[in-house]
Amino acid sequence: MTDLVVKTVEELKDAPEEYREAVAKLVISHAVNELYGAQVFDEPAIAYAPTAYAKWLTCRVAMEEYGHHVRFKQLGLQIGIPEERMVPGAGKKPLSIFEFPLKTWEEFVAIKLLADLAEILQVEDLLHCTFHPLRNLARATMPEERFHAQFGEDFTSELIKTPEGKATLQTAVNEYWPYLPKFFGGSKSRNNEIFRKWKIKQRTNDEMREDYVKRATEVATKYGLTLPEIREAA
Amino acid sequence: MSVVPLPHTLLDALRAEVAAASWFAALGEPLIEGDRADARTYADALGFGPIEIGLAHDWPEAERLLQTPGPSGWWDREDALRRTLLTEAEARYPERVLWTALTELTTHVGDLVHGKAATAAARMGHAAPASIHVAAGAAAQAVYQLAVARLAARKDSPFESKFRLFAAGRWPLGIVGSRLILF
Repeated sequence: MTDLVVKTVEELKDAPEEYREAVAKLVISHAVNELYGAQVFDEPAIAYAPTAYAKWLTCRVAMEEYGHHVRFKQLGLQIGIPEERMVPGAGKKPLSIFEFPLKTWEEFVAIKLLADLAEILQVEDLLHCTFHPLRNLARATMPEERFHAQFGEDFTSELIKTPEGKATLQTAVNEYWPYLPKFFGGSKSRNNEIFRKWKIKQRTNDEMREDYVKRATEVATKYGLTLPEIREAA
Repeated sequence: MSVVPLPHTLLDALRAEVAAASWFAALGEPLIEGDRADARTYADALGFGPIEIGLAHDWPEAERLLQTPGPSGWWDREDALRRTLLTEAEARYPERVLWTALTELTTHVGDLVHGKAATAAARMGHAAPASIHVAAGAAAQAVYQLAVARLAARKDSPFESKFRLFAAGRWPLGIVGSRLILF
């Protein structure tokens, strides 16, 4: 463990190479995944939204997700990451969940309810990051991430008012849930070890995954939904 | 058609129009002739016949209208046109540069109009918290649509008159039956 604190982008230039590479990996990961999320889920969901109110609300969510990509990309550019490394298709493998195109409104609601909770945990872990520009970005992003998860809860509470709506939502949860704990990476991740060594991130992947499963179970239970058992260890 | 550099002056001019607009400043106020004229131009350009112009007086009334299931054909007509125009714009400009410019514009505008919507909601009262996000989504979408139309060099699109309504402080809520409702 070290006590290194990097307060500005300029100071990063003098940080050890391992630290700089770790920061770059995290920024690239967030920039790419925010863009994937907006393109694969948020933007297509606008067409499935059942009312103009829901459509424009979804527009706003999509814009905010694109905005997160823009913010992370801008930070990346400031620290010298080429733009092409921060957009999909540039070598950064997408999370497996992004390989499943959205098919229904209920799927989108399930994703907002559960996948955005995973996003919140990832951003929370950066709130004490020793690279302060990334910490500040996490702080700025957090209220919007919370709003997106609340969006999931609000529309969940609408859908479960009818047995058909609840059943369709449960089907969507069953389909997507198995992919979500994998968001947190492998148990023996070398990257995570380096992130924690430099206090860029605070928790192990397994600690975060355990916390996520606990919180996701609580939110699903609140709405009478169940999370299917995941057979394969992440 | 040959691919040319993105016209940043066009986008800069649009940003200036966005900055000068009176976002949500006239919500619920009695309609004036300029509102009616822009509303008719918008509906006409979308292919609707003669149409009545209605007014939503407050946020709860606007929310009830917007939460009616199944927005009628106006949404689909707008979106079909947007897709056509986007295809035309993509043929003119390098795709990644175009998408990046639209994403950055929408992000910038989204933050601006969100604040304006929050101010209007606080001033008038009785708005559901989520409605501020809805209003910001609607306004930022209108700017995005207009940007796409102008990048496709289509000056007669309904997105011009739709933007003028927003710029005059209105929010076109949609077409219900044969009525276009303005807030």
